[in-house]
Amino acid sequence: MKNLFKELLHYIDVTLVYIKMAFLSIIEYPSAIIGWLLSNPIQFIVGFATIKFVVAEFGSINGWSYGQLAFLYGLAVISHALSMIFFIQGWFLGFYVIEGEFDRFLTRPLGVVYQFLFNQINIFGITDLIPGIIVFVYGCVKVGFSPSPANIGLIIVMLIGATLIRGGIYVILGSSAFWTRSANDFGQYTQEIFDKTTMYPLSMYPESLQFILTYIIPIGWVSFYPVSGLLGVEEIGIGSAMSVWITLLVGIVVMCVAGFVFSRGIKRYESAGS
Amino acid sequence: MENMIEIKNISKSYHVVKKGEGIKGALKGLVKKEVKVIPAVSNLNFNIKKGEIVGFIGPNGAGKSTTIKMMSGILTPSSGEILIGGKNVKTHRKEVVQNIGVVFGQRSQLNWDLRLGESFELLRHIYRIDKTSFDEMIDTMDEILGIKELQDKPVRQMSLGQRVKGDLVAAMLHSPDVLFLDEPTIGLDISSKYALRKFVKEINEKRGTTIILTTHDLGDIEQLCSRLIIINNGKLVEDGNLEEIVDDIAPYKTLVVEYYDEQIPQHEKCEIISTEGNVAKYRFFKKEITAAKLIEDLGKQKAIKDVSIEEASIDDIIRIAYEGR
Repeated sequence: MKNLFKELLHYIDVTLVYIKMAFLSIIEYPSAIIGWLLSNPIQFIVGFATIKFVVAEFGSINGWSYGQLAFLYGLAVISHALSMIFFIQGWFLGFYVIEGEFDRFLTRPLGVVYQFLFNQINIFGITDLIPGIIVFVYGCVKVGFSPSPANIGLIIVMLIGATLIRGGIYVILGSSAFWTRSANDFGQYTQEIFDKTTMYPLSMYPESLQFILTYIIPIGWVSFYPVSGLLGVEEIGIGSAMSVWITLLVGIVVMCVAGFVFSRGIKRYESAGS
Repeated sequence: MENMIEIKNISKSYHVVKKGEGIKGALKGLVKKEVKVIPAVSNLNFNIKKGEIVGFIGPNGAGKSTTIKMMSGILTPSSGEILIGGKNVKTHRKEVVQNIGVVFGQRSQLNWDLRLGESFELLRHIYRIDKTSFDEMIDTMDEILGIKELQDKPVRQMSLGQRVKGDLVAAMLHSPDVLFLDEPTIGLDISSKYALRKFVKEINEKRGTTIILTTHDLGDIEQLCSRLIIINNGKLVEDGNLEEIVDDIAPYKTLVVEYYDEQIPQHEKCEIISTEGNVAKYRFFKKEITAAKLIEDLGKQKAIKDVSIEEASIDDIIRIAYEGR
């Protein structure tokens, strides 16, 4: 137990250095910061403006009011931002495999998954976080979601679960490169799918698709189910706190599957070059 | 002396999907995959003692890098086991790598964007090196490689020689007992090569670090390696010190004698391989007679004007070892 604690402290210590290095790297290329600061928030603000337009035309989307949609959309963008900060490496896993970049991690006395995910923390993900928080707070005000400690706690638990689901799926998709040995970049496709399925109510899609997104690829748990539970918009058969805890559970399960797939894959890793 | 590294009957094969010719072949490959198993290393056995400098050499594609990568925990052998400091690399990866340093000449472990010192700082935390030993190591490395003047330079602005120096220091920071250098001198200029060789010699003498290096540079081999392991086609071809291997592959020398006239004397313990005017070339086996004795004997028969001795060059020896006898 004491050893485990020491081990954990060591990982935290190294993580802090990784974060410091991530900041230093950003400062090396200041022009990139301005680009990201402009493009990322605009992308989501425009996305949300579209929802506003649709609701203004039709009154609601599938029974979701404007405020509820803002709440859903905001949370979806926040978990997206968190997954971009901590798990964006999953998008580039194929590249690491092809270029033999895992060599470096394997010769260092730390977990390979940890090093892979944290060796380049994507601080730029913060630029996604800002529009997410703005839209979410706006939604809270509109639907009257009170910022009580219990509610804040539930939101945090939900965001952890949602981030783990997203990150796990990135890592699972990326790990396919261990078998295919090709540097497919799934990032763009997965983000498209995630955007369309987490920022709008899942109930507006056909039932077969809903079934897949609930039980097979559990994207529904990233935002739709916990938000439905929290706001009571749709009858999903579970209580509000329960829906949040299930989200966390689903997140942990997806992450464990990702860890399993990754560790099976790394055994097939063949490095690169001479 | 104790064995630092034990290689026990390791083999490694790669699975390669065979691709047919043209579009037809490519489409066929989609339906029916033909997987070919290509052996990279087969049944390797050797031990390396503490404090040895071993040159691990062989032609391109011989399996050198594959073996180094298995020893440093990057690849797992298909069969057999590797012990470093008595620990199995496969099952105790984290413990083993805490005690080894790895430098690949063609690849860097330094952070490209940042000043060199930041990469060192990260490694200090990863390997849990306390500040005092860290500073001591940097001082030592400064004496050997002059690393301090490079610490504030971003790695992307470094020359290859400077970058390799940075990588060498990075691999030594945690005072490993074993250092693997995979083609460290590739592409380096003369003075960088000199610095690298000095580094290898000094850390081996001062710290007793066991060093395994692969190289195509014969100068590296001559100047550094107390022992050579030659592999070809994934199999061990030669193992011994340079002299032994030379004796084994080319156990003869050639004595060139210039006489005052064209009457060439003979000797029972050597054969004349060529004569040209008053110059004769005698080939003799080093075990049977020394050059001095041969010159003396020949000198008794005819007056000698000049002599020279030709030995097989290291180039030739290595080439013969690669190509198989």
